[in-house]
This record gives sequence, C-alpha cells and structure tokens, in this order.
Amino acid sequence: MKIPKIKYGRRLSSADTLYNFFATITGLTVFNIEFVKQAFKTPLEIGQIKKHMDELGVKTFGIVSITGLIIGLVLTMQSQPIMLRFGATDFLPAMVSISVVRELGPVITALIFAGRVSSGIGAELGSMRVTEQIDAMEVSAINPFKYLVVTRVIATTMILPILTVYVIMIALIGCFLAIILTESMSLKYFVDSVVTAVQFGDFIPGIGKTFVFGYLVGMVGCYKGFTAEGGTEGVGRASTTAVVLSSLLILIFDMVLVKISLWLWPTIN
Amino acid sequence: MADDKLVEIKNLSKRFETLSVLDNVSIDVPRGDNLVVFGRSGQGKSVLLKCIIGLMHPDAGKIFIKGNDISLLSAKEMNELRKNIGFLFQGAALYDSMTVRENLEFPLRKHFPDKAQKEIDDKVVNTLKLVSLEDAIDKMPSELSGGMKKRIGLARSIITDPELMLYDEPTTGLDPITAKEISELIINLQKKLNMTSIVVTHDLICAEIIADRAIFLRDAKVAYQGSLSELTSSADPFLRNFFSHELVKE
Repeated sequence: MKIPKIKYGRRLSSADTLYNFFATITGLTVFNIEFVKQAFKTPLEIGQIKKHMDELGVKTFGIVSITGLIIGLVLTMQSQPIMLRFGATDFLPAMVSISVVRELGPVITALIFAGRVSSGIGAELGSMRVTEQIDAMEVSAINPFKYLVVTRVIATTMILPILTVYVIMIALIGCFLAIILTESMSLKYFVDSVVTAVQFGDFIPGIGKTFVFGYLVGMVGCYKGFTAEGGTEGVGRASTTAVVLSSLLILIFDMVLVKISLWLWPTIN
Repeated sequence: MADDKLVEIKNLSKRFETLSVLDNVSIDVPRGDNLVVFGRSGQGKSVLLKCIIGLMHPDAGKIFIKGNDISLLSAKEMNELRKNIGFLFQGAALYDSMTVRENLEFPLRKHFPDKAQKEIDDKVVNTLKLVSLEDAIDKMPSELSGGMKKRIGLARSIITDPELMLYDEPTTGLDPITAKEISELIINLQKKLNMTSIVVTHDLICAEIIADRAIFLRDAKVAYQGSLSELTSSADPFLRNFFSHELVKE
C-alpha cells in the first residue's frame, strides 16, 4: 500500500497546498481500496470490533444525549411562535420529528461523533505510529491495517446508526418537554402525530446515510492517524485534521445522499 | 548462498530524496554470529535494519534471509519469515493500551491461535523470568522505567523463539549500569536461545559485551569491518575519534 506523503511546513506554497489536496484524495482512495481488500479476510477480529463499538458508544453516549435533548428543545422553542402565528401548533410534533429524523438527527450526531471519535482515532493511531507501535505490529507478522484500521472502521460504521436512532428518540423527548411547558398536549396525541408524520421514506434515508457517515469518520480518523509523522506535533495534526476532514466530508456526502434519497423516494418531496 | 549465512546483503542502496543513506552496502551474517553495526547518527544504521525486516524497501540491491530473496516474497511469505525474526525497537514500542502480559500474549495468540491458554500463560511467565521481570506482568507500559520497557520489549521479541534478532540501539537513553545489564541479557539470551543478532549501537560497552564482529557505516558505505578490537585499536583518525576520548585531526 503506497500512500502519497503530505507536505508539512509553516509556509506552504499554493503548489504545495494543491499537491496536498490531491495527495489526500489519493491517500484516502488507496486506504478505501485496502479496506475492501482486507475487510473480508480472516481472521475477522470480531472481538476487536465489539471492543471498539463498546468504547466508541460509551465515549459518545453522554454528549449525544445532551445534544439530542437540546436539538429537540431548541427546535421546538424556535418553531413554536411561528406555528402559533398560523394557528398550527398542533403540527409541531410532526414538523420537529420530520426535521430530526430526516436531517438534524443524523447530521448533528455524525458531526458530534466526528469531533469525539475521529480525533480520538487520529490521535491514538498517530501516537502508535510515531512511537513505532504500528511498525512493531508489522515486524511481528501481524497485519496492522487489518487489526487497527478495519476493526475501527467497521465499529464506527455500525455504532453511528445506533447512536442516531437514540439521539432522535431523545430529541423527540426534548420536543415533547418544550411543548408541554407552554401548552397542553397529551403524550398520546404527540406520539400519534409523530408516528403518522414520519414515514418509511423519511426514516430509511435518514438512518441509512449514517452508515456512510460512520464509515467516513472511521476511515478519515484511521487514515490521518496511520499516516501521521513528525512526533507529537504530527499526532496533534492527525487529530485536528481528522475532525476537520471528516466533518467536511459528512456535509458533502449529506448533500449527495439527500439528492439520491429524493430520487429514490420521491414521495418525501 | 552458503547454508551458514543466515543473512546476506548484496549491494544494498537506499536514498531519501537527494540524501544517500546506504550506498552499495554488502554484509554477510553467518548463523550464530553477533554483528554490531556502528556509525554516526543519520548514517543509515536503523534504515539497514528496517530494510532487513521489510519495513523499508531498498532502491537497489538484494537481501537474502535463510536463502530467500525478500524482495521476491509475497506479503504472506514475508510474514512467515518475520515469525522467525525478532526486532527490538529503540523505544521498545510496547503497545501502550495493553498490559505487559497482553503485550507478550499478542504475538503468540496471533501466530498460534490453537495454543491453549495454559501454554500461553506458561510461555509468558517463563519469558518474563528470562528478563527478570515476572513481577511486572500486570503493569501497563506507562508504569515501567526505560530499562524495564527495553526488557519487556526484548521479552516480546523473543517470545516466538526467533532465529534472528535485530536490535536498534538497545541501550540508548539508559544509565550505564542498566545498559550493561541489558547488554548482558542480550548475550545470555543469544547463547541460551542460539540466536543470530544484528545490533545497531553507539554504545561501546554494549558492543564489547555483545560483538563477535563489527562493521562501521560511514558516508553510506561499510567503511571498516573486523573484530571489535581491530576497530577500536585502529590507527585511523576517524575511528580513533569515534572510539576514544581524544579528538584527533583527520
């Protein structure tokens, strides 16, 4: 696996920046191809995948819970006066639930996840790289890509959809709390409104794209960490750039996936 | 290639952009030999070891290990070969998310998945006894001193009973007493386990304890070779500068 080296320095020329842009794209492509090659080879390292899922889930559980609750509360509080102006406050649960399921839940959870997990993976693998732990694995005839990268990417791909469903639930609780603080609405009416409003065409693309986001977070974190160089400065750089790049890719892929989902499920237009 | 040569390096060259670090280097290491590689910093000593183990690829030349040209081996074949090679890194490179026990178990579990837990436990304890650190079995690497890390790194390298050991500056950063202890440990293990060793070092005391033969890399080439006493007693001003306390004009 030959990965082009990124140029670092305090003053990079425009040509160097352009080179780094294409080197990153090439590097990520090589990394993806290697992932596909290695992912189905035995041993599957199921134990490692479970361990990473467990760690990543626990690591982000608290922060996504708070985020989910705040999304639900704030979105409802912001929308309430406008809906009131049109006498349509009864539609608040439907409006908030569709927004959260289709877009806000998946994207905000993915961005939080990227901030927490991509940087963590970048720093961890970066640290392993600069202290020669990855080389030590290789000289021990153990495939470090399979053991370190494949397991983490599978774990992030699997855990993000679970976290997203959880965040959506918490956001809906936040929405209900915000409504009952200002007006009377029964829980039954709220649940009925949400269940009626959210359709298959909302839920599947919303959750479906989080598999892609999870993959991106894991892949970018691993790529940045695995290719880190330059001591502790390199570890810090791997961690920071992993967050920036994975967040950017999440937003770009979101745009593409929304377009695809609108094409596949035109009823949600 | 004669059977008694475990490692044969022929006309090896390696360059980083414009800097040549190894230029047409040829070295033979017979089975059971302890070869010490000297050289000033940045003269390609570690690069030589990394080329032998396949972490770096030479620009030209061939490396034969047990008669196999490593440039022609598939990844799988190279990994099979690596199971017979131990490598002690300069910083020991212990997996810092694992305990000492897990660090030692890791290569065993990967290479011998059918081994019973009891066998693995016994092997780990016995290997730790060889480096006199059985009490550290449940410690994390962050709880160990520099010398202890080197010993554990050594234990991890020899746990699969390699035929060839590569040491990258095994005593760097250690106090003289610990450095001597590590050097004694290396030579004792080499005798006990009948290994062949290539040791990259600056440390003359370490070399005195370990070396059967020594080479000196200078300007990317093997500039001097022979027994350690031949090198240290040489009248060559460069070698005198390297090995003695006096500063001789070249």
